[in-house]
Amino acid sequence: MDYRKQRQQQQRADPRLKKCPFCLKEAKVIDYKDYPTIKPFMDYFGNIMKRYYSGLCLKHQKMLKNAIERARFMGMVAYRK
Amino acid sequence: MPSAQTSAAPETLPEVLDETPEAGLYELCVLSPVNLSQKEEQTLLSGIEELFAEAEGKLVAKDAWGRRGLAYRIKKQTEGNFVIYYFEVNPQKLKEVDKQLRILPNVLRHLIVKPPKEMLPLIAKGTPVKYSERYEQWIKDQATAVETERREEEGRLQKKVADRAKIQAKRTEVKKKEVQKKVPTSTLEEADLSKKLEELISDDTLGL
Repeated sequence: MDYRKQRQQQQRADPRLKKCPFCLKEAKVIDYKDYPTIKPFMDYFGNIMKRYYSGLCLKHQKMLKNAIERARFMGMVAYRK
Repeated sequence: MPSAQTSAAPETLPEVLDETPEAGLYELCVLSPVNLSQKEEQTLLSGIEELFAEAEGKLVAKDAWGRRGLAYRIKKQTEGNFVIYYFEVNPQKLKEVDKQLRILPNVLRHLIVKPPKEMLPLIAKGTPVKYSERYEQWIKDQATAVETERREEEGRLQKKVADRAKIQAKRTEVKKKEVQKKVPTSTLEEADLSKKLEELISDDTLGL
């Protein structure tokens, strides 16, 4: 029984059950100048994280994509590391 | 009937053409190199403001970020100065502003964006969200987070060392006790032995 409990704690939560962090904050805009909020949704290589892993809703994913592409153009965020 | 229609059309057409759209609020982000002399920087900034004047626009707010590292090199520059302007201009003249910015020297990148509806009232008040301050605060927080982590790591290491020292001390104590336990018995035995020996030696009956 204990072993099973431990196993459950060790296992990662199902990515599908994640809630959209922007919806929780009720964010209406994602600004391309706002580096600290954009950064966690990019991986080491500068790719935008998949929705499956970040748990974003489609609306906010689209806004994020827009912001990241603008930030990339202005040299605030890397295209590719 | 058709003649009436054609006569009606010219009446409405000029009205549409005359109708100039209202001035819209726009956001301009300009990236300039760091290694400019003060004079060049001044001319650049005044040049951009002149552009607004030429287009009959009005500068609403300005946010200078100052020096900031770039994510990739642009024209061999690794650092740049960001300046953000919020300005009101007629949408028809926006293209002209964009064109002139392309021509302007010492502009690495520029981006004109229509700010989202939610931001408009803040910008109109002249107090847009200052992302430069947020960024600096974030960097500070990051540094403190790293610092605290390092401290925790050091604390953990010190604890480990202390624990080890304690265990070592315990071991030595146990050993000492064992030795102490042994020592008195041996001394007693020795005392007994010496006594017996003395007795034996002092005993004349043995005839040694």
